[in-house]
Amino acid sequence: MKAVRTTCPFCRNGCESIVTSDYQFRMEYALDAPVNKGRLCPRGNSASIVVDHPKRLAYPLLDGKEVSWDQALQYSREAMATATPEETAVVYSRGLTEAEVRLAWGFAHAVGTPNLVCGYVEPDNCFQYRLAGVKAATIEQVQAARTTLLVGDVFNTSPVAAGPVLEARYADRKNRLIVVDSIRTRQAGQAHMFLQVRPGTEVFALLGMVGSLDKGLGIDVEQCVALSGVSGKQLADAAQMLLGGPTFVGSAMHLGRVYHPVQHSLVSQLVAVKAGATFTGFGEARVPFGKIGFEEFRRQAESGSLKAVFWFGGLYPYSYPELMPELADHVQFRVATSIFRPESALPGLVLPVPSELEKESTGQSYWGVVSRHPVAAAFSGARPLARILGDLASVSEEEPAAAPEKTAAEAVKLTQAASAGVDTVEFVLLGEKRASGIGGFYDVEDEIRLSAPDAARLGVGDGEYVQVEGATGKAEFEVRVTAAVPKGVMSIGVNAHRNRALFPMAKDTVSGQTVIAPAPVQVAKSTRTSEPAVEMIAEAW
Amino acid sequence: MAKRLVVKLDLCIGCRACEAACRSRFKGEARVRYGEVSETVSVPMPCRHCEEPLCAAACPFKVIVRDEQGGIVRQASFHCVGCRSCALACPFGVIDTNLLRDVTQKCSLCSDRAEGPRCATTCPTGALQFVEEEKLAEKEVGVGFAARSVHGRRL
Repeated sequence: MKAVRTTCPFCRNGCESIVTSDYQFRMEYALDAPVNKGRLCPRGNSASIVVDHPKRLAYPLLDGKEVSWDQALQYSREAMATATPEETAVVYSRGLTEAEVRLAWGFAHAVGTPNLVCGYVEPDNCFQYRLAGVKAATIEQVQAARTTLLVGDVFNTSPVAAGPVLEARYADRKNRLIVVDSIRTRQAGQAHMFLQVRPGTEVFALLGMVGSLDKGLGIDVEQCVALSGVSGKQLADAAQMLLGGPTFVGSAMHLGRVYHPVQHSLVSQLVAVKAGATFTGFGEARVPFGKIGFEEFRRQAESGSLKAVFWFGGLYPYSYPELMPELADHVQFRVATSIFRPESALPGLVLPVPSELEKESTGQSYWGVVSRHPVAAAFSGARPLARILGDLASVSEEEPAAAPEKTAAEAVKLTQAASAGVDTVEFVLLGEKRASGIGGFYDVEDEIRLSAPDAARLGVGDGEYVQVEGATGKAEFEVRVTAAVPKGVMSIGVNAHRNRALFPMAKDTVSGQTVIAPAPVQVAKSTRTSEPAVEMIAEAW
Repeated sequence: MAKRLVVKLDLCIGCRACEAACRSRFKGEARVRYGEVSETVSVPMPCRHCEEPLCAAACPFKVIVRDEQGGIVRQASFHCVGCRSCALACPFGVIDTNLLRDVTQKCSLCSDRAEGPRCATTCPTGALQFVEEEKLAEKEVGVGFAARSVHGRRL
């Protein structure tokens, strides 16, 4: 039995664990790890199933058929030779290590293409848009905080990081926990003060707090109150609480839950700066921005000006090519890397690569630099990205460009500008990232949460089904009536591709990045019942 | 010294890491279940390892026995026929009526593991704790803990 101590790759908390391999790969707990003390979240606990998962891809696939590596590289070289640099795009996504992202940048440089795209919906907007003067928190500071402000669902983003936050919350009677969110999550249940804002308007509540803390910035608090739906007194009280003693501000930079990612990041940092607090942005992966936005890439692909697309990073279950079948009609050559076999035959080339747990890497966590050690040799047939790219061109690592620091005045201006885009629709569907399991293969996300008044209006109850139709697709969900979501709002998990397809790809106006924005939808009661009727056939008995 | 598994309701964030840890060990079905008190409050439901276990009394083949030394109520033999009597008898509903490989799944407090149950080790916030029986009084739910917080926890 072999045991390897490594760092969990599934969020940036940097939890250490021990992976043992006897007859199967299994997680064991590193009790002396400083960050997590052996604790792991459901994603961490199930991380090892990726290594010997039955759906692993073991050979290159060309239009759904197995080919040899030589043929695959030949196809890729042909694509590079046929398409001009302007007709080529390089997309990178989550699932790459930081060194591999630098390689993707180097490959785009070697090809000479200006079309370098981050294909992941949650790029590291917190660290890309850093506010001047913000102080990063250490774990000790989180534990010692007298007042903690959490924006968004931090407990779901990094469940293990909830440990120090709760230690601080229960350490003393005078300690306070404030939560700003649109949904009454479990962490809101732990809070002393819960500011329930309208979906997608967290930034205005935070801006209102900044306005109370610093009158000199010229912030219209009345307008913030009107936009976020939180009372002015609550905002002022929350701001006052932030001034009491060591304070920590944690903000979830999370897929689906963040509508204005740049403003969300900047204004959370601004609250921290004005309250003299330390700050941590909780996100899933560090994926820096590319040179052009995803929306621009999509527009180019659909207009037929791209001939070859190289897509590096998790193909399944994290990124998009499967959601963009129309790409096949316009793009002649498609090269993608994947850990898993695609569900359906994808046009173009799919190359097997080692999973996160089979790669050596170092990376930045919230609390410092972590290193990851391979728990197993690369899966049979899989080749590391460095080798694939090395066979295609002479590639050297290139540092991604960092966005410049913003000032407080710029942050305020950007957030005020975002207020123009707030409008009300009847039913809003929210994407919610749940921490259970990895991607699509641990939990089936077929549950929709809606409020009691909405359920009564639709004439449905728990366990019945509704049909949800958005601009880009429709699906059926099992109803779960809850007081956690406000009237007119429904929430679904967005780990599953099927659910993600219900959200039209929205563009963030500042960064040009894709976001999963609250989407207007049509909802109707479905004819499907919770328990399919069992037909008894007399002959069969 | 006998140790018991206790739940600190205040600290549970409903992430279900306990379930995932159990499931990844026992391949397929978690032996620690999970309940919701309200939308914002959830509680893990591990086996209580009762002093007079009703599941053991209900078992027609004496498959479930109480180990007097460790205080563990365990499925001691392979003769379980999957009759679900134990699941029906359990007053806390912690034994799942769904069978895995035609056998009911019963928590053994991970007695194969020196450090104690995996669910308690992995709990991200320390809501599930594995403590010695002597220290149980101070670890009990609500005693010396929820009382310390100003508003308690809204249920």
